Amino acid sequence: MALTVLRGGHIVDPATGQDAIGDVWFEDGRIVERPEGRSADEEIDVSGHIVMAGAIDIHSHIAGGNVNTARLLLPELHRAIRARLADTPLSTAKWSSYETGRLYAQMGFTTVVEPAMAPHHALQTHLEFNDAPIIDKGALTVLGNDDFLLGMLRDGETDGAINDYVAQTVENTRSLGLKCINPGGVEAFKENMRAFGLDDVVPFYGLTSRQIFQALQKATQAVGIAHPLHLHMNNLGLAGNIDTALATIDAAQGLPLHLAHVQFYAYGKEGKNGFSSAGALFAEKINANNNVSVDVGQVMFSDTVTISSDVLKQFNSLPGAIPKKGAIFDGDANGGGIVPYVYKISNYYNAIQWAAGLELFLLIENPEQVFFTTDHPNGGPFTTYPELFALLMSADLRAQYLSRLPADVLEHTTLPSISREYTLYEIAQMSRSGAAKLFGFEDRGRLGAGAVADIAVYKPGRDVAGMFRRASYVFKDGNLVVRDGQVSHYTRGKTLHIRPRYDRQITKRLDSYYDDLYGLPRSIFDVPDAALPHKDAFAEVPCRI
Amino acid sequence: MGTATLDGKAIALDDAYRHAAKILTGAAFPLIAGLGADVAGARAAILLAERLKGAFDHLASRETLADIDVKRSFGMFTTTANEARIRSDCVVLVGPGLTQAWPGMLERLALDEPPRRGAQAQHPRKVIWLEPEGDEASAVPGAKVITASVQELSGVLAAWRARFGGRPVALDAEKVSLIDGLVETLRSARFGVFVWSASSLDPLAIEMLQGLVTELNATTRFTGVHIGARSGASGVTQAAGWMTGFPPRTGFGRGYPEHDPWRFEASRLVDSGEADAALWISAFDGETPAWSRADIPLITLAPAQAAPSRGLFIEVGRPGVTHDAVLMSQETGGMTLRRASAPTDAPSVALAIGAIMAEVSEGAWR
Repeated sequence: MALTVLRGGHIVDPATGQDAIGDVWFEDGRIVERPEGRSADEEIDVSGHIVMAGAIDIHSHIAGGNVNTARLLLPELHRAIRARLADTPLSTAKWSSYETGRLYAQMGFTTVVEPAMAPHHALQTHLEFNDAPIIDKGALTVLGNDDFLLGMLRDGETDGAINDYVAQTVENTRSLGLKCINPGGVEAFKENMRAFGLDDVVPFYGLTSRQIFQALQKATQAVGIAHPLHLHMNNLGLAGNIDTALATIDAAQGLPLHLAHVQFYAYGKEGKNGFSSAGALFAEKINANNNVSVDVGQVMFSDTVTISSDVLKQFNSLPGAIPKKGAIFDGDANGGGIVPYVYKISNYYNAIQWAAGLELFLLIENPEQVFFTTDHPNGGPFTTYPELFALLMSADLRAQYLSRLPADVLEHTTLPSISREYTLYEIAQMSRSGAAKLFGFEDRGRLGAGAVADIAVYKPGRDVAGMFRRASYVFKDGNLVVRDGQVSHYTRGKTLHIRPRYDRQITKRLDSYYDDLYGLPRSIFDVPDAALPHKDAFAEVPCRI
Repeated sequence: MGTATLDGKAIALDDAYRHAAKILTGAAFPLIAGLGADVAGARAAILLAERLKGAFDHLASRETLADIDVKRSFGMFTTTANEARIRSDCVVLVGPGLTQAWPGMLERLALDEPPRRGAQAQHPRKVIWLEPEGDEASAVPGAKVITASVQELSGVLAAWRARFGGRPVALDAEKVSLIDGLVETLRSARFGVFVWSASSLDPLAIEMLQGLVTELNATTRFTGVHIGARSGASGVTQAAGWMTGFPPRTGFGRGYPEHDPWRFEASRLVDSGEADAALWISAFDGETPAWSRADIPLITLAPAQAAPSRGLFIEVGRPGVTHDAVLMSQETGGMTLRRASAPTDAPSVALAIGAIMAEVSEGAWR
């Protein structure tokens, strides 16, 4: 591939500490040092533009059976309205995997992590990944409500056996690490518990949520998975659940822990509605615990749908569904609940949620400790990221929003008092360098020599959201895929996965477990290469050990 | 190598692909129907329909859409066959022919064994079978059998639902007492499961069933297992979902997908003349189209035994039999790769459509 140079752009690359005018060279899909004695085959003048590495979304529900159920449940949410351009089949089919790849690419995103892949439904997630063009994908495997793990913990098995199970499951489902969703709570819901806190006990297993997530947290570290355990805590969405969040952080044993969509846990019980933002308190706790990273799950005012493997929570949300319908799937372990919802700026509760999320962003000091998700589509679709960036970068814009919220909201959030504005450098820390570190990606999220040539070039202007919505140029593996905010053709991204080491004895034990309990060969749940349309679907990412 | 025929006479495979492309690109509104295929075949077919600005439908869409219509207008509780097998203490089978729609059902759900997990582990399961066909229910000793005609099923479920809610029903005292007993069984279940197949239920019965499940969940846990329709319908529906956002009966006439269960129904499109060429895919068993017009240019992809005497025929293998195939598995509720049980070199649907697609350039339709 041609030696290319992007000439004279403002390079914003926290991984290499650059924040200055410079050139970026790449060849054969990788960033290179400026080669001595060679001139570029292609030179692109990007003066007046911002040059960043391709962005990484660490938590976005883009694929899998639950997402597909949401598509089928809500045809009215995604009517297509325009025909596609040449060479981009299905790119305007709204909410299709194809459109997802296109829209992410247009925003300069080149890697996206689907955070909830059920082990028994992994193949469908991978099939959907295959049909999301351009971007690289990865998934987190969900454990923590599965009988095999809970049985091991109940029976007091050794850490070694649990580590082997965890590593085998991650390898077999071809993911980037572990997610744990309302640990034990979903199993408890099958036994008709309707609420489940950190120290509630799972019926018939005698285990608490605390014990389950701590065990998985330890196993994640022991087998060398770079990404810390990705935890969806108990009591999502409930007034006063800040207590759960603070107690969970205290229970983290000082070990790495990633807390997902924390905005949904930043609620106090103040005020006449008994619902207030606890974002400031939460942020303070994060600042004092550098073993904890979070993504926000920002609420953006929009028509959306909540998709979650926290079946207990989703069942409890059904009465508030807009429109009034939903799907509840009691899966082999977690399953899923799909409940449509509309976040309105005029709604007190929604406005508190919106404010709490922004408080978390703005009060957590280290941009590499907080990640900018909307928990797509749960707080709003990923297409609202550009507006979210704009809100983080402008106190004026936030003030405009604040003036439209119900007045009593302002009494129950500290947001009006916060003047911080994110710099582009901090945006890049959050969406590039920090995100890469969080997953142990050594060759992406950065523009240093040797990195994958995933590059986003933006034209700054007064419309910050517009700048992030339509990148001027996006290169994926060195290929120009976006020009002036439009995808010109598809490339095929990879699915990233890890292969932690473990003692293979566990596979025999698992085989007989499946045979005995389900009367099925465990291989029925495999993700073999032959099941995917293309041979080169995967790329391995090294483990920490 | 597979075979191909044109009006019953053998032609070279390459010529067949070229001819198929010519028929489809020459049509104003081509239809891709049947869609009895594995996931790879469905994927190829949908991409072809999109490129041609045609429409696609599946031969069992009536059944699939009965379930989806309930889901998207009311909502739905579902579980896996595995959970039903290991946890359910009460199973209600609804409608005739479930064992035909899913021949492995009784073995998989292990209804004659007690559940292994949960509150009722090791206690015998309660099984209620509403309108079994013939002696279907005899395989489950102790099953409580209730007979009703298929037309009455939604009414029967409505009566259960009414009595569950403590409302009066216009039935004689004996029947009311029978229903009250049944409802008490449901109410006292800890993890109950309804099993149904849309091949014998209409949307009203399915909605009534789901309504009852919803109401039961106010105090206990209840859910459902639905049996997918024939010819790979569930897998095709999933692929259509992530590719277009919609299930089959979706058209691309405007260059983007539009879903309309009436407008893009295959037989209506052909019989009304709106579709002026059809690609019929039926790789599992060679089922033939249900439309009545015989004058539409027709390309058939089916196993060798199903070669029609009219139109263009291209032989394809059987998914999971003659070639490896990804299919939705009824026993797990998820996608799985079925290895070929009797491999041959007959092309898969994906391969055949790929060859046709190669003849259809982007420029042909733009």
